[in-house]
Amino acid sequence: MKYAYFPGCSIHTTAKEYGISSKAVSKVLGIELVEIPEWNCCGAMDAVYAYNPLLSISLSARNLALAESMKMDVVTLCSACFFTLSRAHKLLREDSELKGKVDKLLNESGLQYTGEVRVRHFLDVLIRDVGLENIAKNVKVKLDGLKVAPYYGCMLIRPPNIVHFDDPEHPKSMELIIEAIGGKNVDYIYKTRCCGASLGLTDGEVMMEMTKDLLLEAKNANADCIALPCPLCHLNMDAKQKSIESTFDIKIGMPIVFFTQLMGMAFGLNPKELALNKNCVPTGKLFKQIHD
Amino acid sequence: MKPNHRHAITSQMMDKSFLADVMKMRGGQNILDCIQCGVCAGSCPASWAMDFTPMQIVRMLHLGMKETVLSSSTIWICASCYTCATRCPRGIDIPLLMSALKNTAIKEKVPARIPIKPKFHKSFADIVQKYGRIHEPELFLKIANKTDMHGLMENATLGWTLLRKGKLRLKAPKVNQKTQWSSLFKNVAKEGSN
Repeated sequence: MKYAYFPGCSIHTTAKEYGISSKAVSKVLGIELVEIPEWNCCGAMDAVYAYNPLLSISLSARNLALAESMKMDVVTLCSACFFTLSRAHKLLREDSELKGKVDKLLNESGLQYTGEVRVRHFLDVLIRDVGLENIAKNVKVKLDGLKVAPYYGCMLIRPPNIVHFDDPEHPKSMELIIEAIGGKNVDYIYKTRCCGASLGLTDGEVMMEMTKDLLLEAKNANADCIALPCPLCHLNMDAKQKSIESTFDIKIGMPIVFFTQLMGMAFGLNPKELALNKNCVPTGKLFKQIHD
Repeated sequence: MKPNHRHAITSQMMDKSFLADVMKMRGGQNILDCIQCGVCAGSCPASWAMDFTPMQIVRMLHLGMKETVLSSSTIWICASCYTCATRCPRGIDIPLLMSALKNTAIKEKVPARIPIKPKFHKSFADIVQKYGRIHEPELFLKIANKTDMHGLMENATLGWTLLRKGKLRLKAPKVNQKTQWSSLFKNVAKEGSN
């Protein structure tokens, strides 16, 4: 199983633990992630698009063109990259005038994109290509008794006509994996509710209000941790958790892990291989709990 | 957050040519299909912070209320979570519409209800054009707003938290120039922005 791997900017910075743990898990499962050489920013959803739509789409298109020449499916870890690349793929298929403009831009740089690339999220690869059985087979330390709040966020599952992945209202994919590695999914009613995303940088109060609800609800549901697939959600819930606690004068203390870190723990990998020390809210308790 | 105020609609607020303009934008093509059912307004997880609900924005577009729409906080608070568009029974891509409205407000220099927003989008795009990838410390610095001490402190704390964890790269990222990404994006400017 070989894929054109698109890490995206966050994987090299704010979500290092996601990249490290995904590579470690891939090694166990025999997945080969071949990094797209000289990839650039995915197009950054609304951040670039609102300033210059053509720039955003061209950024995506360059990545898609590079991946196309590798003749493999593109795989992303970041939900926002997944959405942005998928959106560009769709727009370029449906809008011939736009395709003409972008083609011209790509050609001037010696690139070409015919539109045949498939953009996929790592979670999709795990479910459909690797399969739950194979995942379960590699479990060495069952996450017995670990109560996990599965949080999907937005861009992995919405809108369904762009991302084509799982059910947009009642997704199940991550829960299937958590079950396969022996964890227990708690009933988490906010699993698809937005965390506030990039509002964090420009409108912190709104983001904190939104993320606070997600954290408190996981606590109400008695979860030991929240597992998620998106660097931006992770930043808001993990790196901003202390600020949220002091802003609202509440105590949360909820570890926020990437689902790949949980998989790695179940595969018997050590904390260093999963970069568990990179998470801001301490994760040591979780590791100890499953090894007791 | 501020409560919704009642706004009386007057003919001075209407600019029918704006509706035609919006219907040419990506995301705006089918806004006349809106039946004002309110599913978007009820689904939006950030509507409590907006001065108008997404449903009201669409209705105001029908009426050509350009200035009210472009100076609303709604267009900037939309986080593109796509809950509304996933549920819209008429298939309107509301987040993409909001992005198009942001783009119009930026181009026409309409004072934004949340002043830092146009700068955020411009800075993000500039940095990405410069390096090919985002460089977080530079973004933090560019959008640092000295009149918003609270926000400034929050972002500084976040920066420090990430730095301590080794998750903030101070050195600028670099995509190999041989791959000509920079010429690609220089040419984008010549093609306009749509």
